[in-house]
Amino acid sequence: MKRFAFFPGCLIPARYPAMEFAIRQVLPRLGIEIVDLEGSSCCPDPIYFKSKDKLSWLAVAARNLSLAEDLGLDVVTNCSGCTATLSEAIHLLEDDILKKKVNDRLGRIGREYKGTTRVRHIATVVRDEVGYERVRESVVRPLEGLKVAIHYGCHLLKPSKIMQVDNPDNPQVMERLVEALGATAIRHRNWYLCCGKACQTEDIPMNMMHDLLTTVKAAETDILGMICPTCFSQFDYGQMKISKKFDEVFDIPPVYYFQLLAFAQGIPYEKLGFDSQRFKPECLLRF
Amino acid sequence: MPEDADRDEPVRVNFRFRRELAQKIEGNLASFCYQCGACVGDCPATTYSSGFNPREIMLKVLYGLEDELLGSESVLWQCTNCYNCHERCPQEVKPVEVIISLKNMLAARGIYPEVVSKIIGTFETTGRTVRITSAIDRQRAKFGLPPLPPVPMDEVRILLEPDTGTDEEE
Repeated sequence: MKRFAFFPGCLIPARYPAMEFAIRQVLPRLGIEIVDLEGSSCCPDPIYFKSKDKLSWLAVAARNLSLAEDLGLDVVTNCSGCTATLSEAIHLLEDDILKKKVNDRLGRIGREYKGTTRVRHIATVVRDEVGYERVRESVVRPLEGLKVAIHYGCHLLKPSKIMQVDNPDNPQVMERLVEALGATAIRHRNWYLCCGKACQTEDIPMNMMHDLLTTVKAAETDILGMICPTCFSQFDYGQMKISKKFDEVFDIPPVYYFQLLAFAQGIPYEKLGFDSQRFKPECLLRF
Repeated sequence: MPEDADRDEPVRVNFRFRRELAQKIEGNLASFCYQCGACVGDCPATTYSSGFNPREIMLKVLYGLEDELLGSESVLWQCTNCYNCHERCPQEVKPVEVIISLKNMLAARGIYPEVVSKIIGTFETTGRTVRITSAIDRQRAKFGLPPLPPVPMDEVRILLEPDTGTDEEE
């Protein structure tokens, strides 16, 4: 078993516990052991708190990383925002002057950031440590014929030099993970578009999501395959708002990838929290 | 160029503004911008708003047009934080990071949208961006998950205190 320090962040454990449940079910079946990172805080988020004070943001991120260093483990994340903050913190702290500044702050609480841990998103851990073939072997309920529109979101892939997840212009990881479940991955015309959740104005995200949902609808898929909880909220609650505003029917159920994997591994539909979604993936009930 | 600049007047760069920006992490990167516009084509905020253009924002930074960048209705909040400009920039200016540094300057002046200050407030009081309630813990229990433990805020608060004796917030 390969061990990682698990950094669940805020959004998934607080708003989407079904996603956390699925992750905790799925990983041991794939030979990945996770250890809770006790005493961790918000990563902190790369949109709101970072826009107030980058140095404080970096200091809190370094504290979280130092907790994993104490355990001698790499960090596994399940949220694109946490992955972005922690990966960027590691990148920035390669600078000795900045590292000293941050360690001066950490010194106030008797901690030090050393730079000995790596941060990896759960999707890349499954890709690199488990492999698509072993994911395929863990499936007891192949999702043959299920058409899944892929939405990567922004922060998992970019900036690619820092995130080091996949090629942002032609990523493969989501498609291959979906195909490992027996399903068909579909790249719709606006697959690369941002969900707009981190934009602090009304009109830009509304119009952008409308365009995005229009091409998803045109692709006639069964569900949307999601990897980011923030994007997920845009496609669940947000999709309802777009439907109302534009007076058009948009009703494609978003599904977080690891819930889909858990379902394919045989965990019953009712146990996976799909009923609390605004758009329920009832199409899965045929499997 | 500032609109009121006369043809015969030399352009006056606001270096005080630029020094303040340079104190922020990666705030000085706009100095390397040669205005090629690679950031513009892939910018979703530019596609969906005529008022937002990362190349223009970098130019305003180079001139130090403080009033245009740091007003109460700042265009900076239209940024979607998608990081395409960071990906595309041949000079590694990281326009999105410069924009976030500018937001740090807005914050220092107490100017930010309500949704932003609300989430920051939740983080600064609880250590998370989502306030944990008994309803959340009940939801977690449905999945056999334990209640979320409180964050050691004594430690986090100490980390958030500004440095003393440095030029960080000048």
